[in-house]
Amino acid sequence: MNTSPSMMSRDPVWRTVERVRRRLRGVLLLRSVLTGCACLSVITVLLWHLQVPGLAPDSAGGRVVALAGGLLAAALVARHAQRVFFDSARAALWIEEQQQPAGPSSFALVTWVEQQASRVPTLRDSVSATDTAGWLYDRANAQLARTDIAGALWRSTRRQLLGPALFASGALALVLVSRSHGIAVVVSAASRPASLVAPEVSRLLPLGVWDVHVTPPSYTGLPARTVGDVHTVRVLGGSVLRVTGDGPLPDSVSGRAVRDDSLAQRTRVAAPMQTMENGRWTLQWVAAEVPMEFRMTRGGRTRLLLLDAYADSVPAVTLDLPARDTVLRVAAGRFPLRASVRDDIGLQSARFELIVSSGEGERFTARTVMVGEQRLNGARSATLSAALDLTAMQLGPGDIVHLRAMARDAHPQSAREYGLSDTRSFRIARAAEYDSVAVEPAPPPEVDKSLLSQRMVLLLTEKLQQRRPRMVRGDVVTESSRLARDQARLRQSVGDVVFQRLSGESSAEHSHYAGDGHEHGVDLAGGKLSLSAKVTDGMVEEGNDSPVIAINQPLLEAYNAMWDAGRELEVGDPAAAIPHMKLALAALERARAASRLYLRGKPPTVIVDVAKIRMAGKDTGVVSTRRARDLVPSRDAARDARVVAAAQLVARDAEAARDSIAVLRLEVVADAPALAAALDALLQTMARGGDVTDGFVRARRVLGGVVRTEAGVWSRAVPP
Amino acid sequence: MSTMSHGTAASHGAAVCGLGTRVEPFVFATAQYESGDWDSAPMVPANVIDSIARYTTIPVRPQGVVASLSSEAIFQYPLLYLTGHLPVRFTTREAEVLRTYLARGGLLFVDDHNHDVDGAFHKTVREEIRRVAGPLVPLPNSHELYRCFFVFENGPPTTSHEMNGWGDNLVHEQLDAVLRDGRIVVLYSNKDYSSEWSFHPDNKRFLSVDNTKFAVNLVVYALTR
Repeated sequence: MNTSPSMMSRDPVWRTVERVRRRLRGVLLLRSVLTGCACLSVITVLLWHLQVPGLAPDSAGGRVVALAGGLLAAALVARHAQRVFFDSARAALWIEEQQQPAGPSSFALVTWVEQQASRVPTLRDSVSATDTAGWLYDRANAQLARTDIAGALWRSTRRQLLGPALFASGALALVLVSRSHGIAVVVSAASRPASLVAPEVSRLLPLGVWDVHVTPPSYTGLPARTVGDVHTVRVLGGSVLRVTGDGPLPDSVSGRAVRDDSLAQRTRVAAPMQTMENGRWTLQWVAAEVPMEFRMTRGGRTRLLLLDAYADSVPAVTLDLPARDTVLRVAAGRFPLRASVRDDIGLQSARFELIVSSGEGERFTARTVMVGEQRLNGARSATLSAALDLTAMQLGPGDIVHLRAMARDAHPQSAREYGLSDTRSFRIARAAEYDSVAVEPAPPPEVDKSLLSQRMVLLLTEKLQQRRPRMVRGDVVTESSRLARDQARLRQSVGDVVFQRLSGESSAEHSHYAGDGHEHGVDLAGGKLSLSAKVTDGMVEEGNDSPVIAINQPLLEAYNAMWDAGRELEVGDPAAAIPHMKLALAALERARAASRLYLRGKPPTVIVDVAKIRMAGKDTGVVSTRRARDLVPSRDAARDARVVAAAQLVARDAEAARDSIAVLRLEVVADAPALAAALDALLQTMARGGDVTDGFVRARRVLGGVVRTEAGVWSRAVPP
Repeated sequence: MSTMSHGTAASHGAAVCGLGTRVEPFVFATAQYESGDWDSAPMVPANVIDSIARYTTIPVRPQGVVASLSSEAIFQYPLLYLTGHLPVRFTTREAEVLRTYLARGGLLFVDDHNHDVDGAFHKTVREEIRRVAGPLVPLPNSHELYRCFFVFENGPPTTSHEMNGWGDNLVHEQLDAVLRDGRIVVLYSNKDYSSEWSFHPDNKRFLSVDNTKFAVNLVVYALTR
């Protein structure tokens, strides 16, 4: 049979074969598409699970990888389909294979189709060939009639597409159901502006890997660093911490200070600055100076970022010279000063500070002097030297100079604390201080009261003496006797003071006398007092400037002069009393002017008779209700329980166990450095994937205070 | 002021220290530090001890002790009294021990014997307190310190030294404190209680109103809060 293309297209056998070919090609194309989609889904899920940096499913890289995988799979399937089915002969062969019931194939249809497909349409075949073609055509046509082509196509379609369709459906279901509709997120994230990626979308993706970037404060001059996907990062307080990751922003971010102390309680955890750019999220904090814990959650996955934050320490300052406190007899010459300063980051300046205090008693003045200031321009350590010119400082006897070195680092905070050395002090000796002894300070009001009264008695006596020529003798005696009683009262008050100072007894005038066997420091003889020999031994001869003498001898003089004045007044002779009274007044003035010295030494011994005065007070108080305090839990026991819980968690969730240990390490690093070191070793073992048993045991031993001595040569536990 | 009987007050005083158990007597401790004149008010301990015995049943040792700030012996005493006129500079060791003492629940009572705002003691000791314990803040006059035994409606009692215009010529309205968890750890006074209370306790008989009663509140607070 000789046929042109137009004739062939109208030939029913040829049309049938072509229809089958197109149908099979469509089925196989669909199969390749389904296979590609299935591969795309599988790769997406794999990328989620593998957490390959930079290949998150919703990132550009992740999308490229997934699409490439899907296209490759589809292309492979399509290429296979083209090789197998994409010509008419193969379609005819497929039809022959579908013959029902199955029997030996005549291959007439295939032969005819091959002949038709290989002929040039304008050529005319020979008669024999025409006969053969006609015979073939009839056989092919008969074969088509025997074949249920529609049913075969349906079975083939089902067979070809069922597997890939199930594969693709399963993969898609895996993405959509188990991983929160990942395909939809990829599409959504790709089609929306980054700022529009809403929280409801971000919940769809689990939190993946992140990059941590630390920028130290600018004043430190330290370089910024990228530490990668870490769970603990050590940062200087004030550093800017930037965490970036693929996909939408985390659903929730929470932070807290890990340590439980006052500084941590005062630390406010600021919300991070959140940004999105190029499909990557970024959180940014300024690190505080206490360890912090940040929890970030997205897509049902929570990750922990621990900030092992530390404060910029104040400079350490050691005062090398002068090495010790001293006392100088003369304030002259030059005093060498030297100090060593060092800092963990960099020093800005250092100097010596002197406080010069002058005065005595309760009157002190102080002035501050700065010496030897030096700019250190960020040096880590330095030696500070200066010389102190004592002559120029115009120090006087009794002055005390408190000296210390101080240094400041480059921390920009205005109230930044200085690093301070210990304080040395040197004192300029007073000329007479070696003759002094500590005395109990006398309360001035008693003496002052007597003084004023003595002056009044003296004035009244002088007035009496002025009026005396105009008065009768009886009136003079009466008034003089009254003044004598006032004078006696004052004398008794002064006597009380004297006895109190010397013996601690309030008054003893009524019962003490010379040779009574009591040692009071004074003797009472003939109504007059005198210092006993024991008290004056070795003191009076040295210039009468002992505090005991300086205070008490004038009082004794006053007492005795009052005694004489009182005697004269009692006999009605005010004129004779006045000189004694003036002597008494002058003596009291001297007592008042006596310097009171405060010297370091053993305080006076006062033993309170508690039994005697117990509840003797007139006032009563009320003990207000006392708040019940919570029992303080055993800190170590709580920590031990956490270590044990983490050990039990390792087998089930190593990442959670690692986080627990990391948080605990941050909490204890301030107050239990040995435990922190043990936990740090444990964390390193975890990171290596090694056996953590020994690490947990060591941590618990540190907690329990168990000390294991190293095995020595004599230990039986060690093989020789 | 309460009209509570002595007996009741006595039982309360005993309750303060815990009945039924062996009670260590309260010991009044004066802080000794390297710099300055730490012993400028030697009669204060006896006077405070006298007041505790006179108004409460708190077991008290009849004599105070001097405790070096550089020694961990201070941990035995719930209340430390620190005073002086001269600049105060804690040594490193003193600062460490004192920091630990305060962290463990001790109470440091610092009184400026100069009662002078610009005085050397005032400036330096406040700086040292800030370094060791944190910044001082004004203590409200409604604080329980002023009503934990005797009631001081107007806050800390005024001293005669303030009234006489000595020192800084001011009557200080309140004390300053460092609070930790609501509890006073450092109490700072510009009122010169060191002068006010530095007399022999026998001489209280000359006073119409005992000016040392506030010391009882201080001790009760230190023992119970």
